[in-house]
Amino acid sequence: MSPVRKAFRKGVKVSERHGAGEWTAERLSSLILVPLTLWALWSAFQIAGGGYDGALAWFSDRVNATVLAVTLLATLWHMNMGLKVIVEDYIHTDGAKGLLLGLNTLFCLALAAGSVFFIVRLALGSAPLPAGFGF
Amino acid sequence: MSNASPGAPLDSSNDPAGDQTGRFAIQPNGRPRPLSPHLQVWRWHVTMLASILTRITGSALYGATALIVLWLGALAFGRETYEGFVDLAGSPVGLVVWFGLTVCLMYHFAAGVRHLIWDSGAGLSPKAADLASHLSIWFGVLASIAFWALLFASGKVAL
Repeated sequence: MSPVRKAFRKGVKVSERHGAGEWTAERLSSLILVPLTLWALWSAFQIAGGGYDGALAWFSDRVNATVLAVTLLATLWHMNMGLKVIVEDYIHTDGAKGLLLGLNTLFCLALAAGSVFFIVRLALGSAPLPAGFGF
Repeated sequence: MSNASPGAPLDSSNDPAGDQTGRFAIQPNGRPRPLSPHLQVWRWHVTMLASILTRITGSALYGATALIVLWLGALAFGRETYEGFVDLAGSPVGLVVWFGLTVCLMYHFAAGVRHLIWDSGAGLSPKAADLASHLSIWFGVLASIAFWALLFASGKVAL
């Protein structure tokens, strides 16, 4: 495909970088989060005031644990893109911008790993941490 | 944009020579160009307020997600850690923080739905856009008050 044909589709200029994909991903994550947020509010209401045992009982339901993991992963994806746009809007120094974008993604990945790790342990009814880590 | 076309006749709004508005700046190439108006220049409008609030509440929710993962961690570390977390979260200061984050979530949620409607091409007339902005702000406040009223009324949360 020649560069000219690549840049235009049906007479409309197509983004040469990645603008359209990010735009779609932002909308898609919002759309996914609409029902999940309502579910999370409902769940928060269920868990509130239930104490340690109540919270563990909530996690023993695999549906709860699974939907919570999906909710958190979609949220982290959405907020990673959100902060990326904010950084790109206000930070114009290449070094600082790159550093902040990197930290943003590292932070979101760390939270994603942490959430899945904790949720799996809670769903399986594992012994309280740091059990299993030699302490 | 008639002002942008090269052949447009100059009047008081687009003539840099007779500029009394301070809206023009001399660019490095020596040519006068209109400045892009920034925040302090605009008359505040509800769609503008709603847009800025969406970004601010989104930033706050970034922190809220970290708190939720902290809550998960506290639960996974056992009863003592969890009860310590709940003591902090249920303290007056903690409750104020959770309430503030609830307002952020409810507002950001409504604003997100508003944006999805706008992105579908609907509701973009000034009147409809104003209404949607007003509604999302009111929803953010009222839904949060309702949520916490239910929490207190059901005895799940107490001061």
